[in-house]
Amino acid sequence: MKFDHMRLIFTFILSVSLYLPSVWAYGSGDFMRETGKIGVVFGVVLLIFAGLIWYMVRLDRKLTKLEQQIKDDQ
Amino acid sequence: MWWKASAVFVLLSVLSAGFLVPLHPGLVGNSPTTITTGQAFTMSLTGYNTFFTRSADSMRIWMTHPSGYALAAHQLRVLNNNDMEASFTVPTVLPEQRDAMTFHLLTDDPLHGTMTLVGAIQVQAGVVDDFLQDERLDGWRNTSVTGLHPQEGFRFVNLPINYESIRNLFFHVPMWMVMFVLLMLSVWHSVRYLGAPSAQTDARAEAYAETGLLFGGLGLLTGMLWANYTWGAPWSNDIKQLMTAVALLIYVAYFILRTSFDEPEKAARIAAVYNIFAFASLIPLIYIVPRLFSSLHPGGEGSPVFNREDLNPNMRIIFYPAIIGWTLLGLWAANLSIRLKNLETLHLNR
Repeated sequence: MKFDHMRLIFTFILSVSLYLPSVWAYGSGDFMRETGKIGVVFGVVLLIFAGLIWYMVRLDRKLTKLEQQIKDDQ
Repeated sequence: MWWKASAVFVLLSVLSAGFLVPLHPGLVGNSPTTITTGQAFTMSLTGYNTFFTRSADSMRIWMTHPSGYALAAHQLRVLNNNDMEASFTVPTVLPEQRDAMTFHLLTDDPLHGTMTLVGAIQVQAGVVDDFLQDERLDGWRNTSVTGLHPQEGFRFVNLPINYESIRNLFFHVPMWMVMFVLLMLSVWHSVRYLGAPSAQTDARAEAYAETGLLFGGLGLLTGMLWANYTWGAPWSNDIKQLMTAVALLIYVAYFILRTSFDEPEKAARIAAVYNIFAFASLIPLIYIVPRLFSSLHPGGEGSPVFNREDLNPNMRIIFYPAIIGWTLLGLWAANLSIRLKNLETLHLNR
């Protein structure tokens, strides 16, 4: 059950990090719409990072399952 | 191991250069945008990445028209590094007998090089126009645009609307290349599987398809984010957006198909056949149909990515390694999945 906590934490972190760009977009800083639009590049890199982390979490879950199965068989 | 290390090294270099290399200086705005002939007016210009205070004495400014007409500013006042004011005296008539003409703004100095703001000013005819052709050209010809300085140095192109977001070329665009490489490997292993069925080959086909789908999905999401701040909306039913969505859905169906059979061998065989059809439909969806329709994407008439003018040489130097780096990372991700699937098979058969 240790893993379920991890999954919860990751889901939380991912949702917060995906929510942040919209905060910048409509907040006072207007990070995404300022002249240079560097915020868009930051958001794109963040999205790719989130996607890769999601992939790692998925692998982690499968590995835990396999480890558990091997343990049970022994 | 060496290729995993190179993936990290190349991507770190691409991230550093992609973020740290500055854009060329450029003009981003002017006011007013509509003027009338026969008047003197002061135009305020806004620059990005500019150092106007350093070139207050050498800066030259023109209103230019593609047909070769030009009007030089007779006075210039630099307010700060990003703002300056240029005073023009517009001749009594337009160079052509028309109600209005659109002019570009052109500035030149040794430090910034040539900067343009395309279609910046609309000049409206202010008087009843009964002038002779020679008379009307007088005021628009006396200030020929010569001795321009090209923009130099290792910097990225400063395109209107895009500005800094042009850096997404190193992050959004390679997602598609990675997707294509992974899906190509996937179909290769599916073909191999039909020739000589084995659990390992099927694991490879599935792992490459799922990582391909991951990078395709990331390409679509990053594209939507970029589009939101350049095209004005995350989804514009652009032909490339639509075709990619269809292609990704076809691959989502591949995974649904896999889970709908109880026998692993049967699932693997049918999935392998489906994968060949999926890949065969990917080619027209990604590479042929988008060329037949107009698109918001740049380079719509030729390459599905950027055309030659947009992809300037400085960006290529980073863009090509970016493709290699992201591809190696995609192969790494698939590799982890393949090894896990093989361990699962090994454990099942024990």
